[in-house]
Amino acid sequence: MKALRKFLDGVEPHFSEGGKWSRLAPLYEMVDTIFFVPGTVTSTAPHLRDAIDIKRSMFTVIVALMPALIFGIYNTGYQVSPDAGFLQNMLTGGIAIVPLILVSYIVGGLWELLFAVVRKHEVNEGFLVTGLLLPMTLPPDIPLWMVALGISFGVVIGKEVTGGTGYNVFNPALVARAFIFFAYPGEMSGDPVWSLADDLTAATPLAAASSVQGADAVALVSGAGYSIWDMFLGLIPGSVGGTSTLAILSGAVVLIATRIANWRIMAGGVGGMVAAALLANALAPASQNTMLSLSPLHHFVMGGFAFGIVFMATDPVSAAQTDQGRWIYGFLIGVLCVMIRVLNQAFVEGIMLSILLGNAFAPMIDYFVLRQNIAKRQRAYAKQ
Amino acid sequence: MIVRAYPIFDMKEIRLKKGHDIVLAGRPEKRLVNAGQPARLKIRPADFRGIKPKLMVKEGDHVKTGSPVFYSKTSPGMFVTAPGSGRIIRIAIGERRAVEEIVIDLDRTESFEKFERFNEQSVASLSSGRIKEQLLRSGLWPVIRQRPFSSVADPEKLPKAVFVPAMSTAPFAPDTDFVLDQDATGFQMGLSILKRLSGSPVHLVAGKNTSSKVLAGAKDVVQHCFSGPHPAGNVGIHIHHIAPIRNRDDIVWYVSLQDVLRIGRLFLRGRFPVEKIVTVGGESLEKRQYVKIRQGMMLEDILWDNRFERNARLISGDVLTGLKSSPEDPLGFYHEIISVIPEKTGRDFMGWIKPGLHKYSVTNLFLSRLRSNRGSRLDTGMNGSPRVIIPFGNIESVLPMNILPTFLIKMTLARDIDEMEKLGIYECDPEDFALCSFVDASKMEIAEIIREGLEYVEENG
Repeated sequence: MKALRKFLDGVEPHFSEGGKWSRLAPLYEMVDTIFFVPGTVTSTAPHLRDAIDIKRSMFTVIVALMPALIFGIYNTGYQVSPDAGFLQNMLTGGIAIVPLILVSYIVGGLWELLFAVVRKHEVNEGFLVTGLLLPMTLPPDIPLWMVALGISFGVVIGKEVTGGTGYNVFNPALVARAFIFFAYPGEMSGDPVWSLADDLTAATPLAAASSVQGADAVALVSGAGYSIWDMFLGLIPGSVGGTSTLAILSGAVVLIATRIANWRIMAGGVGGMVAAALLANALAPASQNTMLSLSPLHHFVMGGFAFGIVFMATDPVSAAQTDQGRWIYGFLIGVLCVMIRVLNQAFVEGIMLSILLGNAFAPMIDYFVLRQNIAKRQRAYAKQ
Repeated sequence: MIVRAYPIFDMKEIRLKKGHDIVLAGRPEKRLVNAGQPARLKIRPADFRGIKPKLMVKEGDHVKTGSPVFYSKTSPGMFVTAPGSGRIIRIAIGERRAVEEIVIDLDRTESFEKFERFNEQSVASLSSGRIKEQLLRSGLWPVIRQRPFSSVADPEKLPKAVFVPAMSTAPFAPDTDFVLDQDATGFQMGLSILKRLSGSPVHLVAGKNTSSKVLAGAKDVVQHCFSGPHPAGNVGIHIHHIAPIRNRDDIVWYVSLQDVLRIGRLFLRGRFPVEKIVTVGGESLEKRQYVKIRQGMMLEDILWDNRFERNARLISGDVLTGLKSSPEDPLGFYHEIISVIPEKTGRDFMGWIKPGLHKYSVTNLFLSRLRSNRGSRLDTGMNGSPRVIIPFGNIESVLPMNILPTFLIKMTLARDIDEMEKLGIYECDPEDFALCSFVDASKMEIAEIIREGLEYVEENG
């Protein structure tokens, strides 16, 4: 530890102003602060500061993602051979998924670094989350080059062209996923190839529900062998991190307890989903579209809804940034997700598009909350 | 915000939830010592925001306590006067010929400038103009400050209200009851004078736990009761909830409790009052206590019998808003606290990944939260690197105002005066945003951003 500090201090002059690698200063800052908390002291009031920083905040999101990731690794192996045993399944899953994560981190990280060097700002820790979120939303058998292409698109177009972390309109991980989804639909959700094993094809519950026109969606889901309980536990085909609602909810507990994610978004999202699903249920008898009959519970445990509303919609930058706005934003996403799933069966996985739409609406929602706030203050002025 | 009846004072209690009381080692004990007579005093013109000083003395001149030292170029009748009698031995001039410091070498026996004396009855018939004249001439006027912008009050513009905050919640702040128990002379007189001077309501804001009869029995005031964590005791928060500032010409005055005493004593005794009670506290200080001092004393004189660690930061004021100082600096004109806290040394290895049982945080990101931060230590470390705004909601959780800080900060950085005004910039003061700087994950200097924003609208608005 001391030797490392000595080494870092030793090379520091090369990276500072006038040094031979001064352009790579963000790289030094990144490595240096990964190992050691900055030793800078306050230069102005307040003279004390909370221990929180962005590294800790983003690390907490990583911790929250762990249950879903570990379960996803296990489940990937389990889908290949359910009887292979825990260790064998973890191994099979690990061999499939660790490369996805590595590619996402390395390729995305290089882009981050490149922009940091060119734009002369620090490497932002938000990438730690983006780089992990993307592979967790992908099917485990996706080719690595697609991951590389997706994360490149997500980082460059989703984030850096609008000014980098903190200025992005859309959740970069979702932009990356949307890119892969639309560029290579054959590899993504909706198609029945979700498993590692070539000879074994299985449909995701959402795909099963919409597979036969006119047939009862609830019956189709259970007919494909998915009970609500199966889908809640998550030992089913699906994206790496998205199958187990249970694992996702344990991550949600971490995020809510630490207040890193805003609970209002999650509550609004679930509320919106339930409201829209109940409305759909009420309309179901009058329509040929049997997706309308999927209950709120089905929507909750099927597909990526839980993962999206817990980890994706809650990105503080691309979400609404006022408390009332967060309720509306979450609710909107919940409603849109059900609408897309039920009404537009070309995109059975509605959560991705609904969050991206929510991101697009977030600034407008905030605008109206802001006008409300201004009006409220005007009333207080008038009252005194 | 819940408003409910409060039995003792029979008034509405305004309960605030947002905010945070920093748990800081080295709280001052309720023990008053006298700092004695120093050899020198200093006047620092920069303390008086809004006064452009024009010197009236030169090195070698002799001044009495209450003699004018400089006046305000923008308001020539407004003086700042000497807090002691003696010879001016040094006038330090800084860049662009700004007066930095005026040093007075004190006489052995003090001589006073004489001002007219009054009693409770005669003061009641004083005119606003006569009060103003005495305050301006004595050099006590600058204890009255105004919002927006927290500068010395403009004598030409009367306020819509006067605030006297009597419940400081800042770390190590003097306890109102303790201060009033020592000597409450002049308190009622000061309040009555402020009422007559301004012709507007004087709002006296007390804390929930006060048992002071002096406060409870105050006349000529509107009484209020606030409760909640810091910054519930900040005057800006009181103004926001009682008489919010609508625009830049909507003026509110505020005077600290001890300065109300001083105003009363000036009129009672006919002398410029120089004494006040301050607290000295902090982990790095040997004796944490209350000290009776004279205005303009240097920190080393106030801490004369007190040892502090070599690697410590001396702060004139509280840890959230004070000024980093050296022992030869005077205590700020408006400050009532000296904080001495350890400077950060060394760097924590992988601090962001550890459980953090001893990390101080308002958030729930560290295990220390399970023990309510007891056992955690705070020093001057930034504890992280500066980053762009990521709105986690931390800063909102410590600002008990109906103001949306994230958007106000963005508009302030963009220098969009129109939006800043709409979002309530005139109600803001850096001291109310100090906790926002404290809890921000991106390590932004939010209080400084607000300060610069206010200066910008003051000039360009």
